[in-house]
Amino acid sequence: MSCTVRIASPLHSYTAGAARVGGRGNTLAEVLGDLEQRFPGIRFRMIDEQDRIRPHMRLFVNSEEARDLAAPVRRGDTVHVICALSGG
Amino acid sequence: MTLSAAERARYQRHLSLREIGAAGQEKLKAARVLIVGAGGLGSPAALYLAAAGCGALGLVDFDRVDVSNLQRQVLFDTAAVGELKAEAGRARLAALNPEIRVVAHALELKAASVLSLLAEYDLVVDGSDRLSTRYIVNDACVILGRPLVSAAIHRFEGQLTTYVPGRGPCYRCLFPQAADGMVANCAEAGVLGVLPGVLGTLQATEAIKLITGVGTPLVGRLLTYDALELRFHEFRVERRRDCAVCGEAPTITAPRDPPAPAAAAAAADGVRRLSARALSALLETGAPAPPLIDVREPWEFATGHLPDAVNIPLGELPERLAEVPRTGGAVFICRSGGRSMRACTLALAAGVAAPANLEGGMLAWAADVDPTQPVA
Repeated sequence: MSCTVRIASPLHSYTAGAARVGGRGNTLAEVLGDLEQRFPGIRFRMIDEQDRIRPHMRLFVNSEEARDLAAPVRRGDTVHVICALSGG
Repeated sequence: MTLSAAERARYQRHLSLREIGAAGQEKLKAARVLIVGAGGLGSPAALYLAAAGCGALGLVDFDRVDVSNLQRQVLFDTAAVGELKAEAGRARLAALNPEIRVVAHALELKAASVLSLLAEYDLVVDGSDRLSTRYIVNDACVILGRPLVSAAIHRFEGQLTTYVPGRGPCYRCLFPQAADGMVANCAEAGVLGVLPGVLGTLQATEAIKLITGVGTPLVGRLLTYDALELRFHEFRVERRRDCAVCGEAPTITAPRDPPAPAAAAAAADGVRRLSARALSALLETGAPAPPLIDVREPWEFATGHLPDAVNIPLGELPERLAEVPRTGGAVFICRSGGRSMRACTLALAAGVAAPANLEGGMLAWAADVDPTQPVA
């Protein structure tokens, strides 16, 4: 299934500056695995060694928060990668 | 709290709004709002809350106005460069609206003082530029039951949420844990000047809504703004039952300063300090040069860097530590020495032997070694 992934600004260095990229997969785990293939290192910025979402990152499928990587992703969905920002 | 004739004239456009009217304006007059951070977000938030007739405004900021602030911090003008932000902001707000009371708090918000300070206010607007401050403010607001309107910015992107204790999640529910240095701030990453204008104005909007009781506040919802695409997105955020401060069994019952600085200071004991002149001398000896790791953002690196330096932005360093040679005394470099010191402590913990910090960063290099060196 194809989806859109919106990338948090602090991770744009992995996507050559792109704020929005395509993704493939039926679950969040598969979509992030697909991203990792094309943008090496980006998954580790969001997911720790125990496959948990890092506590300063949030992942949403459309407007609903995904608490783990098993969250389903359907064709046409948008996965949003949100990062805690410190700027004021 | 009744309105004077002068106030009725000043706030006439509010009085004309059925949703605000005299009753709402009197609530604004009675309100005490604390603005944490008189920066890009705090500037428009403070200006609009002062103009709206918020009766008491507190401004917390220990910093002084720098000329590079003026691109977005519209609370200050050029003549204010060098002044304390809290004092310069107080003067500007008092000039805008002499009907209100403005208090300057030129201090760094710490766990020891945050509760007594926040207790004097009804609502908090957070526009600080440190994650550690955001957690201290959030925890104090939960403990005191104060509503918190929080926003943050990065380059072209902003976030906004309103937290009302007992009615929705808190900041720790959204981001349970984060440390400064994981994400570049405005000084490091850059920011579109008008971006905090949008977010700070939305913060003022939320504050006015909460004070007057009109509309639906952004509770349990995270709003994000992408200035480049001009898109807002909204996400539902749930309260976490295991939240450390507002959950069912809280482990944080009093604000506390982050342990990171102490740990970093301890770790920093094993970090060598190199002045720009000392590094220059080291590079000219003819001996094998130490690895040079420049931890600035790519755009800063592109503006100018030392020959043979490798660019690993600080935010990417934790997963790219394998690229740093374990021996040879790697020298970490940034703009002014802060980020590179954090990089040194990370490297030290990862087993890099005798990492060195370029004290004063590339600014010191330009000042003491090579005045032609461009520094972003």
